[in-house]
Amino acid sequence: MTQTLSLTSSASAPNLRAALRRAERPGRLGALALALPALLFLIVTFAAPIGLFLTTAVRNPEVRDTLPQTAAALAGWDGDGPAAPGEAAFAALLADLTRAKEDNTAAALGKRLNYESAGMRSRIMSVVRHLGNFKDGALAPQFAALDPVWASPDLWAIIKRNAAPVTPYYLLTAVDLQQDASGAITRVAEDQAVFLGILGRTLWIAGLVTGATLLLGFPTAYVISLAPARIAGFMLLMVLLPLWTSLLVRTTAWVVLLQTDGVINQVLLALGLTTEKLQLMLTRFGTVTAMTHIQLPFTILPIFSVMKSIPEGQMRAARSLGAPPFFAFWRVYAPQTLPGVTAGCLMTFILSLGYYITPALVGGPRDQMLSNFIATYINRDLNWGMAAALAGLLLVMTLSIYLLFLRLVGAERIKLG
Amino acid sequence: MNTMTLERRRLGDEPSPTPAASPMVVFERVQKTYDGRTLVVEDLNLAVRRGEFLTMLGPSGSGKTTTLMMLGGFEQPTNGRILLEGQAVERLPPERRDIGFVFQNYALFPHMTVADNVGFPLRYRGIRGAEAARRVAEALAMVRLDGLGERRPAQLSGGQQQRVALARAMVFKPKLILMDEPLGALDKQLREHMQIEIRRIQQQLGITMVYVTHDQSEALTMSDRIAVFNDGRIQQLSDPVTLYDRPENRFVAGFIGDNNTLPCEFLGSENGLAFVRMKDGTRLAASGPAHPARSDLTVSLRPERLGLDDAGSAENRIKARVLDKTFLGDRVRLTLEAFGTERLVASLPAAEGAAVLPGRDVGMAFSAADCRLLAR
Amino acid sequence: MWLPAYATRSERLCRLAVVLFAFAVLAFLIGPLFVVFPLSVSKDPFFTFPIREYSWRWYADFFQNARWMHSLVNSLVAAAASTLIATFLGTLAALGISRPGFPARKAVMALMISPMIMPVVIVAVGAYMFFGSLGLTNTRTGLVLAHAALAIPFVVVTVLSALSTYDSNLSRAGASLGAGPVSVFFAVTLPLILPGIVSGALLAFAVSFDEVIVALFLTGADQRTLPVQMFSGIRDQINPTIMAAASLLTTVSIALFVLLNLIRRVKRA
Ligand SMILES: Nc1ncnc2c1ncn2[C@@H]1O[C@H](COP(=O)(O)OP(=O)(O)OP(=O)(O)O)[C@@H](O)[C@H]1O
Ligand SMILES: [Mg+2]
Repeated sequence: MTQTLSLTSSASAPNLRAALRRAERPGRLGALALALPALLFLIVTFAAPIGLFLTTAVRNPEVRDTLPQTAAALAGWDGDGPAAPGEAAFAALLADLTRAKEDNTAAALGKRLNYESAGMRSRIMSVVRHLGNFKDGALAPQFAALDPVWASPDLWAIIKRNAAPVTPYYLLTAVDLQQDASGAITRVAEDQAVFLGILGRTLWIAGLVTGATLLLGFPTAYVISLAPARIAGFMLLMVLLPLWTSLLVRTTAWVVLLQTDGVINQVLLALGLTTEKLQLMLTRFGTVTAMTHIQLPFTILPIFSVMKSIPEGQMRAARSLGAPPFFAFWRVYAPQTLPGVTAGCLMTFILSLGYYITPALVGGPRDQMLSNFIATYINRDLNWGMAAALAGLLLVMTLSIYLLFLRLVGAERIKLG
Repeated sequence: MNTMTLERRRLGDEPSPTPAASPMVVFERVQKTYDGRTLVVEDLNLAVRRGEFLTMLGPSGSGKTTTLMMLGGFEQPTNGRILLEGQAVERLPPERRDIGFVFQNYALFPHMTVADNVGFPLRYRGIRGAEAARRVAEALAMVRLDGLGERRPAQLSGGQQQRVALARAMVFKPKLILMDEPLGALDKQLREHMQIEIRRIQQQLGITMVYVTHDQSEALTMSDRIAVFNDGRIQQLSDPVTLYDRPENRFVAGFIGDNNTLPCEFLGSENGLAFVRMKDGTRLAASGPAHPARSDLTVSLRPERLGLDDAGSAENRIKARVLDKTFLGDRVRLTLEAFGTERLVASLPAAEGAAVLPGRDVGMAFSAADCRLLAR
Repeated sequence: MWLPAYATRSERLCRLAVVLFAFAVLAFLIGPLFVVFPLSVSKDPFFTFPIREYSWRWYADFFQNARWMHSLVNSLVAAAASTLIATFLGTLAALGISRPGFPARKAVMALMISPMIMPVVIVAVGAYMFFGSLGLTNTRTGLVLAHAALAIPFVVVTVLSALSTYDSNLSRAGASLGAGPVSVFFAVTLPLILPGIVSGALLAFAVSFDEVIVALFLTGADQRTLPVQMFSGIRDQINPTIMAAASLLTTVSIALFVLLNLIRRVKRA
């Protein structure tokens, strides 16, 4: 009997997975249904807005919307050729700009084309200003009279290229590249290449902060893990309390401390350690110090919780086997803290990449990070495309390190307090 | 799909062991896998009779808890079906099955008093107020916990917690109570005491119980029938005496009680007895469930069924050398060498064994019924 | 101190240095929190130590200034509303994720946690643009929705951690005794994980109450929150009333922190 039955069961083995899936489906769907509201909420209020924002990095509506007739007229024109387009294109442009003047969209168009080639704004605006002066007859010479560049194909090539719904312009600019008149991708001029520098600075500051928190945090976590329970509890409180204090308040505190007339300078002067006030605000040093202060708990806590789980006997065993103290620490203890170090450092690095408040308040112009530039492009320049391209850059870095974090540490291991 | 139903019908047509009462629970070709690869329950066919105390006994990981969880409605069978009083229960959620469940760690609600714990099932059956209080008091009295109703579970000893769990599972008079190693966390004395208590309550209420344990003596003491689990299948299902005396395979023989397992060769059968040849050529008369001419046969022989040769009626007599003798108080334990170089253990009453001396030869005898011829 | 008996002398010296270093780091951590309060009670409008004369005038300033008070009320309302949403959604999600059969747990968790690590400026600008197209910028609704999204991971993580110590046999026991899934949740599960849920809610409140950047983008003058008011003040000209506001903000944070620890202690007892 046993024999025959075991044959039956092995015969149905290929269907086992299917049967399992079928049997478990109601339970899975029930579990999913519970998480669905939160998932949908996050998709609508968080993921979708970010996704939508990022698409503005390639969206290119200005020429299409403002110069529809021109775009149509240029469709058949060979942009690589040596000649400017025919009279029809000039007529279309004139008609489009007349319309744009009425709709007040000419300025936006000028601004957009100016990104591609300096001087485009004034060229467009001068045509708009002189709309009333155009006479019947050949238009090309009249345009050329306003600005001889209208007779060259380069300018028209730019308009034609930007009639496309998407543009690589912002993304290329974000990594200091550009498309020349012929469409080839080249590096931008030395004096305009700023964005890779900002990217490098952002990574460098985040790295500095991560390194500093590790340097300060590792021994601290070690001491807390060794301290008697009562003292350790008190020390832990001193780590957790700053975590709970608002980031803005902590940054404010640093502003007060670092000001030229601030607490640190007063103390240094009073102690006679310096004879003149030091410039601490608006410096890289100030920014990194404040950020280190804010991030320190994030690095300490995971390291501490790993250290606490390392049994005391480990070091004793190493010593009994003849390892000298430092060797025992370095070869036996330190490697076991690695998961905590990884978790803490990755978290601090990820969070440091996105800093905005602290560099804005404590840092000088040369300490502004990617987030600050994104905000500036939105608030001051109203250049959404550039903001989105930089945001894309920041997001790619953040997400790749987040994926590394998920891989090495796991979302389930995140603990709070 | 079609063949499945056909086979199922054929299975159902087999004569039921108790034609009188319809079974309380029937497992039909139940399979369970958690990961889609290994079958934790391979092919379970089992009928639990009304009012019986059925124990599932088996080593760790043999699928006992899983089986109980499927019956309780906490896990879905991957294949096959479970009938409760003739009704298929796949779609029946646990709260509608009317089954009492005692968990291994008791699962008492820590934020409720003992009385609230025991009264919990009554709340969902519309029993309130004085009637509920009376039923709770009655249940607590049944498990001898009168007066502890206002305590929290954390304020009780392990044995008391166990009784609360029992009272809570019985108070709503379920048709069936399932227990998953309910005594596993108790010390030996308390465990033996509770075994008797549980059995008393079960008989008093006439309730059907399915009980899981990996403690064989517990199973032998308490059960009407025992299902021995191993590798996700039932190895043998029978009453304790049959299980002990007439194991049907080597796993059961080895798992329950001590056994000497000796390789042998099948010669033939005659008058319901099987004849085998041992390694050194000795012929023995044996009994067993089936006597197929297979190569991996053994005989199993319990130490206490091996006696000194007193020229009685036992079918088998052998000569053996005494290698070692251990005094155990009421009994002595002999390590013997027989059938050439085989080792076997015998256990004799202390008085009988007094004369046996290590290093000497001794004559031993045992009946064919105690010498079980088993396949794997 | 804190040394095994077998330590050598050089080891002791070494250890002493490390301990001193650790206390210095702790002083560095906690010190800046203590510069704000003294300055907020100094009568002097300039930030100088030692403080010559104490006064509550800056607090009076704060509480009598309609703008500050308005922003305080805005912060409290927005934090309360987003806490409610985040706690409800986050708890429900944690209950689902903790079930054994939950599909694609890793991916779902990665998404649920991501608001925690996303650069806030990106979140803010995204919400600014998206909510703008829905007419939700310069409304409290928009701010509350965005803050709730930022707070959900904190609730999910704390409730999941509460559920990890919850014995699922208790739910099974409840079901076997006749309680349906909803009854089991309210009678058994909820009372036992409540400390976790409340901790999550406190965290959610703190997240919203302290948040600057999203509020900066999403609010107009009418919905301005306390941190936004402070931020613009600091950018402009840092003054003692800001110190008073910062002290109040800190007091609220510390109160939440103390509350959280009391809950944890009760839970352990
Ligand atoms: N939820 C689960 N997910 C995956 N595998 C499981 C699960 N529960 C049990 N198993 C596996 O199923 C097998 C049988 O487990 P089960 O708990 O039924 O054994 P058991 O007979 O009750 O053992 P024990 O005496 O140790 O309680 C084991 O190998 C176990 O690892
Ligand atoms: Mg079990």
